[in-house]
Amino acid sequence: MKWWYLFCLLPGLATASPLDDCRTFQHHGQRQETEACFERLTHSDDAFLRAEGFWGLGRLEDANAQFKIAHDEHKNSPEVRVEWGKLFVAGQNTQEAANLFQEALKLDENYAPAFLALARLAGGFDKRSEDLTRHAIELNPKFVEAHEYLARLALEDNDPKLATQEAHTALSLSTDALDAMSVLASIDFLNGQTQSDWMTRILKVNPIYGEAYATAAYFFIINRRYNEGVEFYREALKLNPDLNDARSELGINLLRLGDDEEARQELVRSYNAHFSSPETRNALRFLDTEKDYEVLHGPHSIVVLNKKEAALLAPYIQPELETVIATYQKKYKTTLPGPVRLEVYPNHDDFIVRTLGLPGQGGLLGVTFNSVVAMDSPSARPPGEFRWSATIWHELSHVYVLYMTHELTPRWFTEGLAVHEESAHESDWSDRLTPEIVEALQKKQLLPVLKLEQGFLRPQFPSQVMVSYYEAGKMCDFIIEKYGNDAILGMIHSFSIRKDTAAAIEDNLHEKPEAFDKEFSAWLDKKTGSTVAHFADWKKSMQAGPDKITPVEAKRLEDDYPEYTGEYSTYELLAGLYSNHGDKAAARRELEKYRDMGGHSVATLKKLAGLEQEAGDNKEAEKTLKNVDDIYLEDEDVHRKLGTLMLNQGDAGGAIREYQAAIALKPEDVAETHYDLARALMAAKRDKEAKDEVLVALEAAPGFKPAQKLLLQLSQ
Amino acid sequence: MRLLSLFLTFAFTLPAANYYLIVAGLGGAPEYEKQFEQWASETERALQAGGPNVHVETLSGAKATRQQLSETLTKMASDVQPDDTFGLLMIGHGTFDGDNYKFNLPGPDITAGELATLLDRIPAKRQLVVNMTSASGASLPLLARKGRVVITATKSGNEKNLTVFPRYFLDALRDPEADTDKSGSLSALEAFRYTQRKTVNYFESEKLLATEHAMLDDTGSKDGARDPSATNGEGLAASAFPLIPPSTGPTVAASPEKQKLLARKEDLEAKIDRLKYQKAAMPEEEYKREMAQLLLDLARTQAEIDR
Repeated sequence: MKWWYLFCLLPGLATASPLDDCRTFQHHGQRQETEACFERLTHSDDAFLRAEGFWGLGRLEDANAQFKIAHDEHKNSPEVRVEWGKLFVAGQNTQEAANLFQEALKLDENYAPAFLALARLAGGFDKRSEDLTRHAIELNPKFVEAHEYLARLALEDNDPKLATQEAHTALSLSTDALDAMSVLASIDFLNGQTQSDWMTRILKVNPIYGEAYATAAYFFIINRRYNEGVEFYREALKLNPDLNDARSELGINLLRLGDDEEARQELVRSYNAHFSSPETRNALRFLDTEKDYEVLHGPHSIVVLNKKEAALLAPYIQPELETVIATYQKKYKTTLPGPVRLEVYPNHDDFIVRTLGLPGQGGLLGVTFNSVVAMDSPSARPPGEFRWSATIWHELSHVYVLYMTHELTPRWFTEGLAVHEESAHESDWSDRLTPEIVEALQKKQLLPVLKLEQGFLRPQFPSQVMVSYYEAGKMCDFIIEKYGNDAILGMIHSFSIRKDTAAAIEDNLHEKPEAFDKEFSAWLDKKTGSTVAHFADWKKSMQAGPDKITPVEAKRLEDDYPEYTGEYSTYELLAGLYSNHGDKAAARRELEKYRDMGGHSVATLKKLAGLEQEAGDNKEAEKTLKNVDDIYLEDEDVHRKLGTLMLNQGDAGGAIREYQAAIALKPEDVAETHYDLARALMAAKRDKEAKDEVLVALEAAPGFKPAQKLLLQLSQ
Repeated sequence: MRLLSLFLTFAFTLPAANYYLIVAGLGGAPEYEKQFEQWASETERALQAGGPNVHVETLSGAKATRQQLSETLTKMASDVQPDDTFGLLMIGHGTFDGDNYKFNLPGPDITAGELATLLDRIPAKRQLVVNMTSASGASLPLLARKGRVVITATKSGNEKNLTVFPRYFLDALRDPEADTDKSGSLSALEAFRYTQRKTVNYFESEKLLATEHAMLDDTGSKDGARDPSATNGEGLAASAFPLIPPSTGPTVAASPEKQKLLARKEDLEAKIDRLKYQKAAMPEEEYKREMAQLLLDLARTQAEIDR
């Protein structure tokens, strides 16, 4: 026994510390040795080593208890604080972790591992992450892990050159730098190589290093290449089935791709192995709500709707989706290999958990994963906040572009084209020139086309993502206007064969990116120059308060910035002023401009429809209310009014849909609504259904005379 | 046959009267005092619009004492006939101490048990109590009785906040949209559903946690229901309680033939109401067939009346 102990201690004595020994075994994938080594550490006299030992064995609670003791025993050790902080990171307690990293820096302001730990905590898409990592390297230029992490950040930032450089720096410092090699292998895989020499080297160092495949999987996922991402996660798990974070990611991405059954299996397995990230828990909770959804199959689509609102939404969303598919099939000259699956969530947090894993991302309206699209339901947001129909056109464009480019499109291009498609379908759906965008134009913050990707991935100011959407959309407008739709198809082809943005522009637009930027800038300036020039004045007047704006001034402001349809738009202000003076015709003209400019306040549009109806212009009123339908479907009053207008114009089919929508919203006046539907059905010569409906009306209101008359008529 | 005809003639020539007593309890603060009195007087006006057969008395302010309330109910017990309808509408604050519900009045309060005793002396076969006070849910089990529709603003005595129910109940009496069966009259059930919907909308639109959940009991079950329906058996009597009677009722001048038609109409309407409450226990097809036939008969009868 004594001999054995001595023997076991020998390797430890040969190297720097017993902890380093364990880490070396771990680094080389020597499972049994690693376990035995960590087990030995748990018997150490030093609480810090005991903590590391328990952690190495996966006994996180015991590790935490020992770290607590070590924290008291090693009052001046930044290492103890950083290590304990990392344990908190593993336990998803980022706040405690950050506190400990800061505490370490108080003890030693030049402690590089603390800066790296903070960088990892900030996450790759936060600019601070890179700054902190660089600072760690400044403090310790031979800090292998920091170089490895910087390589990863660079690849996240779509900069394979820098990533390669940093990875090689790490390898020059340590030939066994597994994470550096994982980044290099990922670059190979992303470039279409099916095998990578780096992978061979990795496996020589550590034959069970599944993390390398998981790293590649991560990069495929963030590049929207979900199918390949999933396959790499599978590879990672083949090498090491204990990689529960990879298993959870596999589950989450299977969920994104609509494979709920396998997703559930993987997530449950991960959860049962005590890996319980918020994303895993949310995804499992989300899967439990599956029973609340109804799946509808169309010729080229599958629509998933919450049962509570399926009756209302299906007659709108399903045909719209089929129309979009038919339009894009023609436009992109491509037939998708299978149906598009559209999932519509009435609860925004469910939608976000379904797509990102964590709630709290307020701005997202829709997300595409290959041929699966998830989006907010019209009921998920207050009326007027978004146009559900435009979201479908937008996301479906992604489905086509991702498919046609084999998911190799840069983000700026697919987003730009999707934004373009919204306005190509309906001019008033175009991305609005909001004050934030005008301000960016004014400050000349738009990015050259070769850098536009950064505007999406690493925004430098709060509204840059939104500005980048606008810019990318306008770029696609410009390309189509100047070079035609075929140029766009050509660019799609270029991306599909792994050409980058510069090459795609040169091959299809036959000019250098710099020349393209110049021309685009001049084109955009023509469209927005006047608004930009008057923006300061406009802002000043609006800040003074809308009640202080005179009619003459409002008219001028409207001319200066016609695209502004946000709160207190001059259209609405002027319409209000005209209405107060009894000039309903002028008020109507203003609101029609508001509508045609893309204004989407449901209340304002309803007001306009009322004015149009009052003036006897039922055709325009119908147009306005159809516009409301494209924005918000939860307004019973709109459906009933539109139904009546359509019925009066002889569109019985349209009226039936509107009245059915009103019924799906559980109207207050059940009898009247079913009676209206009966009239529409009768007009469509569907007498049997009409009779059924009138009987429903009379069941609610047996003495309702118009319905009684209709029943007698239908019973003759 | 002759007797039936005589009865019908009597029924239509001397229609039953509708008696109401509205009580606005102690406000406790001037703004509440004023608000309760205003709701009470407006409710009185809305009910009076029901026609000459509607008799409304209101007790509010200093007059709304327990003694006055007891005396008024005692007097009504002698005035009201069995075929009349009687309604007690309570506005104000209520309290519940875990054992007893009390309606807050100037001076001594009155308990739900005391109210029930007084109401039991009123001979009207169809009675309605609308207790719109806070904590009113606690009064439901004591007031509930077969033949009496009891509506409370809250589901229990633990909902103690000032209620918004009276505001919307008043709206129900005035808003033609509350008459969902388009009969030209407003039943207690229609008023309940309208008020309930508006109350729910109020809390939702104000993004407030709902502090009141209205209940209805008309079977004497003492449990009440938030959603009276054929499924839980609640609501049938409430649907037949005419809170606001039809504005144009049958006239003395109606010919015997028309009177027969009117009687047939009333009979069909009653059958339809009953059938609705048998729905849950019937095969769907059978229900649909019977309902369709009754509705068609009613439509034909109405057409003949209107001819």
